[in-house]
Order: sequence, then structure tokens, then C-alpha cells
Amino acid sequence: MRSRFLGILVGAALALSACGDDPGGTLRIYTSVTQETLDAVVAGYQGSYPGVEVEVFRAPTGELTARIAAEQREGGLTADVLWLTDPLSMGQYAADGLLLAWAPASLEAVPEEFRTDSSWGTRVLTMVAVHGLDVPAPASWEDLTGPAYAAGVAIPDPGFAGSALGALGWFALDPGYGFDFYRRLATNGAVQVPSPGEVVTGVAEGRFAAGITLESSARDAIAKGSPIAITRPAPGAIGIYSPIAVVAGGAGEAAARDFVEHVLSVAGQEAIASTGWRPIREDVAWDRSGGLVYPDWNRVVELRDQLLNEYLVVFGG
Amino acid sequence: MTGLSRPARERTALLGLAALLVVLIAYPLFELVRAAFDQGWGTFVDALRGRGTPAAVWNTVWTGAAATAIALTVGTAAALVTERSAAGRRRWLRVGMLLPILIPPFVSALGWTEAFGPAGLLDDLFGIDLPGLFGPLGVVVVISINTAPLAYLVVAAGLTSRAEPDLERAARASGATAWQGFRTITLPLLRPSLISAGGLAFVVAVNSFGVPVLLGTPAGFETMTTRIYRSLALSADPEAFVGVVAVAAALVGITFLAVAVSDAWSWLGGAVVRTGTPAGTPAAGWTSRWPVIGLSGYVIVTSLIPLVALCLRALTRAVGVAPWPSNWTLANFGEAIDGAGGAFLNSVLLAAAAAFLSVALGGAVAALGRGRRRGWLGSVPVLTFAVPGSALAVAVLLAYGARLRDSLLLILVAYLAKFWALGHRPIAGSLENLPLDAVRAARASGAGAATALRTVVVPMLWPAVAAAWVLVFLFSFHELTMSALLYGPGSETLAVVILNLRQIGDVTVTAAMAVLLTLVVLAAGGLLGLARRGGASS
Repeated sequence: MRSRFLGILVGAALALSACGDDPGGTLRIYTSVTQETLDAVVAGYQGSYPGVEVEVFRAPTGELTARIAAEQREGGLTADVLWLTDPLSMGQYAADGLLLAWAPASLEAVPEEFRTDSSWGTRVLTMVAVHGLDVPAPASWEDLTGPAYAAGVAIPDPGFAGSALGALGWFALDPGYGFDFYRRLATNGAVQVPSPGEVVTGVAEGRFAAGITLESSARDAIAKGSPIAITRPAPGAIGIYSPIAVVAGGAGEAAARDFVEHVLSVAGQEAIASTGWRPIREDVAWDRSGGLVYPDWNRVVELRDQLLNEYLVVFGG
Repeated sequence: MTGLSRPARERTALLGLAALLVVLIAYPLFELVRAAFDQGWGTFVDALRGRGTPAAVWNTVWTGAAATAIALTVGTAAALVTERSAAGRRRWLRVGMLLPILIPPFVSALGWTEAFGPAGLLDDLFGIDLPGLFGPLGVVVVISINTAPLAYLVVAAGLTSRAEPDLERAARASGATAWQGFRTITLPLLRPSLISAGGLAFVVAVNSFGVPVLLGTPAGFETMTTRIYRSLALSADPEAFVGVVAVAAALVGITFLAVAVSDAWSWLGGAVVRTGTPAGTPAAGWTSRWPVIGLSGYVIVTSLIPLVALCLRALTRAVGVAPWPSNWTLANFGEAIDGAGGAFLNSVLLAAAAAFLSVALGGAVAALGRGRRRGWLGSVPVLTFAVPGSALAVAVLLAYGARLRDSLLLILVAYLAKFWALGHRPIAGSLENLPLDAVRAARASGAGAATALRTVVVPMLWPAVAAAWVLVFLFSFHELTMSALLYGPGSETLAVVILNLRQIGDVTVTAAMAVLLTLVVLAAGGLLGLARRGGASS
């Protein structure tokens, strides 16, 4: 009687521990893309490769980079694919030799400015202005520092969200804006909130007059019925390309290559577009009207710490 | 059964148990202390002096002290109302007062933001919001409300067991006002209860993570627990890990100090010479309805309105539209179930495993701890329960992280270490009260040991075992502090998914998940009430 009870306990413990093991034939994806997009893309991939078991760790950029750092500290990265929001940390991982250099079949379909020899853009995130329906639309980003928005502008935390870091990179390095733009925003009563989603929530609830946020996040809220509007202030929405890469030497390297090929294929890109993101391939349909500006990622990578520190002086946490 | 003699068998069992406790608690804590002092005192102190850390330590201590003071005041006042007032509906007031124990702290915090925060329910209705809800004020208030039921339980028990109705009647007959009677008779008698309630409340308040992470962090107000979380889960800086270990070790130090102070205080100054055993029912202090109305109002404002606001938010189709029936939808619940199905399963699996194992472990300790060893074996579970979840998680990560990283087993180890005390307590209490005469009578009437166990002991212990099981299930099911630090791909718990989704900013689906989680918890709490009642009637 007693030994059977113990047997059950041991069995239960073993079953629990099995969840943490890394069986063969699995593909581990570490990503910060939204669940909906991930589900759509993974479903397409598994249609072609039903035998591969896909394991996903999905978290905002800050948490994801913390996890990658912890794994490096404790004996090595266990991911096979990294699919991030912005190219900033990807540059660091490439420099550390973590990423596999290779040439996907659909390499040429990715515009040159969005690819390196180990990582490729998959979609373009756009940072736009969102404002309440009773608040005028800002004609330029500079307008957000004016009296029409003195009731508060919400800006997302660049330490938390990769898209916010991209916006910081563009504003801080643009000669017309620079850190003075953030100082003027702060003087005008701008407030930092953790994520682009929080920006949308705060503006929809009327706690802020306007905010700087991810276009897709604002569009979701509008589709549900939130009383907000989107504008692309001059000189344009800020575009951030979301890169993907294969981790070198992982157990799932072959599966990882297949996955990257799928993401860059027309089918994968259509899945991305259908979940609300501007696809990187220009042969996939998308409304590309309206201006876009891009941060200079080489300089952002180079000046990263300086940028974040200077930003902390203005919006210190 | 075996060839061993009884004492030898007992010794083997005791050794096995000791080994288990070492694996679960002693070894991880040893690893934590070793890592903290790896390079001597100097680095430990330097790590505690790091940017923002002294502020986090100070915030933890003062919010803990403030929440303890408020929880003690509220708990004592509520106990006086439910135990001493002659008014009716006391049963409902007791349930209402204990409600916050069932509701996970982070759900309370979410409920408060939906009810009293900017753009919350009261703001929609009357244009009122609680200034400072995000920040130290909100942190202290919501922690107090979550802690008050514990203080209430201890003080109410003290009021019934330590009542001196004769003295109180004598005081009133000699012309003392109700307040004078309370201050000079009741309060001194309650002192031991107040001290132990205070120690307990402080430990729980200092442990708290869900409330400060939701109400403090957005305002830049950090406590030690949120700092551990931020440095461990959100920072890629290798230096941050050194700070995490130091802060975790300091947090253990602070709670043990609080336990030691409260123990020493009640030992030194708390002893009360009793004049005799209470005769008859306690004096009914008052018949006025106002205290009952006041307490009902407290329960409505602090627990019910936040829950209602949370449900309304979960039903509303988008942020920024009014939470009225014209805007209602069940879509958020659909999204919640889609997004948290796996995590829900993980939480159920973890909670059930933790409950079974804690009951087995707690029961074994209770059985072995009867008699002479009761003293020290009984206090081990209390001490382990006092180890803050954040620190325990860091300790478990240091001890077993390399082998068990990302597995549910890693989280289970932490849950067992923390919650087996909850499995131990009810069973030990029930064992103490087990009438041995009934067992002897069964044996004398010819029943074998197994029959006596099956027909006498098990039926009597059953309600306590069931209560212990549900209690551990409940706490593990909504646990956030440790799982937020230990989860990985595939081992997310429901509470972690809710926290992460909230931080991304999806308010309506977060609310729907929190409502679903609370429903499960309330159902388990109802079961617990049934088990308790079954225990009382048998």
C-alpha cells in the first residue's frame, strides 16, 4: 500500500521533471513578437514540418535579454532561434559570436538595409502618435511639446520595450530633435509608462492627451472600440525592423534554419501581415503610403549606453 | 512490518525527514548565504549600497511597519465587533473580513486600480480617484488590507480564549467607560495576541511582491522584492545578479529578526497572570449598530467594490469605453482562456502536486513531532514559512537552477519549501486533540492496529487533512512571487501570465484572467469552509 503510494509520487515527480528536459526534435524559439503573430507563423511552419516540436519563450525585450544573459552566465544559450523586436541586442549577440552566419534562400527579398550576414528583418514596426478624439492631431513630433498636449504625453520605457528604444534612437540622433526634444517633453508634463500598450490604455482612458506608441497596438484598441486616433507626425512614423537569427551550434540548428526560411517566405510574410505587422518583403501586399524614418542602428549600437544614461537623466526611474 | 524495533523505525523516519528538509530548505539557504558572502563582508555591503538598493531596503522596512500598524488596528477593531458586539450577522462579517485571505494580493491590487485608480470605476461614476494609489500610499493600503485578516484571526482567537468577563464587568460596574474598560482590561490581556499578530503581519507585509510590483513599480517606488524581480528577470547586467543575492540574503535577515523580536517580546513582557478561567459568556460590550455598519462598509469598500470593478473591466470590450451593459462582451474571457490555457494547466498541476506532497510531509512531521519533540519540530515549519518567497526563489535557483532550470519541478521544490508549513499546521493541531482513549478502546475491543487506524484515526483526522490539502492548493495555485522568478519556456504559471500581460498593457484580458483565477480560488475556499465545518461537527 505504502510502496504503491510512493511509486505514484515518484512517478508524478518524474513526469514533472520531464517537462524541463530538452528532448530531441524540438525547436526552441526565444522571441518578443506578439502571441498572435507567433501562433500564425508557427502554424504555417508546422504545416511543413509536423514532426518538429516547437517550444517558445515569449517575453518583452527587457525580460528576454535578461534571460539570454542568465543562460550565458549559467552555461550556454539553449535557444535555437532568436526573433527580436529591434536590431540592437542582435548586433551584440552577433559580435559575441552567438549567431550562425549563413544565407537563406529568400535573402534577396529582404531589402539590403534590413539584413546582416547573420540576421534578417522580418517585419517593420512603426511608432506613431496616438491621441484622444477631443485632442488635435500633432502635425509634427515637435507639436507634442506644445501647450495642446500639456495635459500629458505618455512615452514608453526604452528599457522595457525594444520599439521604445528604437524611437529613442531616432529622436536622440536626429539633429532636429536630440535629447532636447525629451527635455521639452518632460517640461511639458510627459510621463514615462512601461510599455506601448500602457500608452494606448492611458490615452484611451483619458489619462493622457496623447502618446508615442506602436501602431499595431493602437490599431487593436481602435478595432475593439477605444476612443483614440492614430497620426503619423512629420517627418514620419519611426520604423524599426524586427530581426531573426539562428543560434550557432544548437541542437535544433537545422530546424531553426527551416524556421527562418519559412518566416522570410511569402507564406510566412503573409501570416505576419495578416496579424497586423508591415511585412519586410515588398512583394507582400501592405499599404505603404505615408512617410517612414529609420534610426541609424549602427550608431545606436555604438552609443547605446550613452543614450540610455542621458535618457535616464531626463526620465530617471 | 519490518524487523526493526519501534524506536529504530522512528529514528529512521526522523532521519529521512531531516534529509528531506535539508534538500528543500537548508541547502538552498546555505547556497544563498554562501553566494552573498562569497567575497566577504565587503562585497555584500557594497552590493547593498548599490544604486537604489538602500532606498529599496528602507521602503520595505517602513511600508512593512506601516502596513503592520494598520492591519493590527483594523484586525483588532474588527475582532471586537464580530466577537463582542451583540448585533446579528456576525457570521457574514467574519466571512467578509476573511475574504482578502482568499483573494490573491496581485488581484486585489488590480481590483483597486480598476475601482479607485485613474479612469477606474469611481472615476467613471463620480469623477473621483484615489491620489497616490500608484506609489507608497497605495502599496501600504492594499498590503494592509491583505494582511488585516491574519491579524484579525489571531486577535479574535485571543479575544475568545483570553476573555476575562468578570474583570470587564467589574470595571464597567465601577464606572469605567467602555473605552477605559477596553484600554485597561482587554488590551493588556490581548498583548500576547497582538505581538504575535504583529510579527506575522510584518513578515507577510515584507514578503509581499504582487502589490508593490503593480502599484509601486509604475511610480518608481521599489521594495526589496520588486528589486530582486527587476534585477533577476529584467536586467541583462551581470553585476545585477550580485545585488540580487545580497538583497535576498538581507531580506531573510530582516524577517528572521522580526520573528525573533516578536518571540522575545512576548516571552519577556507578554506573559499574563490570569485570575481564573472565564465563567459564562463574555460581556457584550455594546448593542449599538454603528460598529457593525462601519465594518460592513469597510468590507464593501476594500474587497467588494474592487472585485466588482475588476469584473466590469473584464466584461468591457475596450479600454476607454464605459463599463455598462451596452459595451459588454465575453470576448476577453475567450482571449484569456486562449492565452492562458497552458499556464492554467501548469498552475493546477503544481498546486495539486504541492498539496499532496505538503500534506504527506506535514503529516509525517506532525506524527513524528508528537510528544517530546513537539517543540523544535513544530517550530521548523513556522520558520520556513517566514523565509520570503523572493529570497527562497533565489536560493532554490542557486541550489538547483543549473539542473532543473525551466522545469515545473524547480517551482515545485520552492512551493514545497514554502508551503509545507500550511500542510503541517492543521494536521498537527488535529493530532494534538486526537482522543487516544478512542484508539485504546478500539484496540481493547479487538481491533488490529490497521483497523484502529482506518476506523478511528483516519475519520477523525480526515477534515484536517482535507483542510490542509485545500489550503496548500489555494496558496500554490495563485502563487506569483516565486514563480515569477523561476518560470521558463513551458513552465509559466497563471499568475505569471497575468503579471506579464498586465505589464504589456492589455488591461481587459488581464482583468478577465484575474477574474477566472479568483473564481477557482473562491471555489477552493468554499471547499475549505466545508471541510472546516465538517471538522467542527465531527
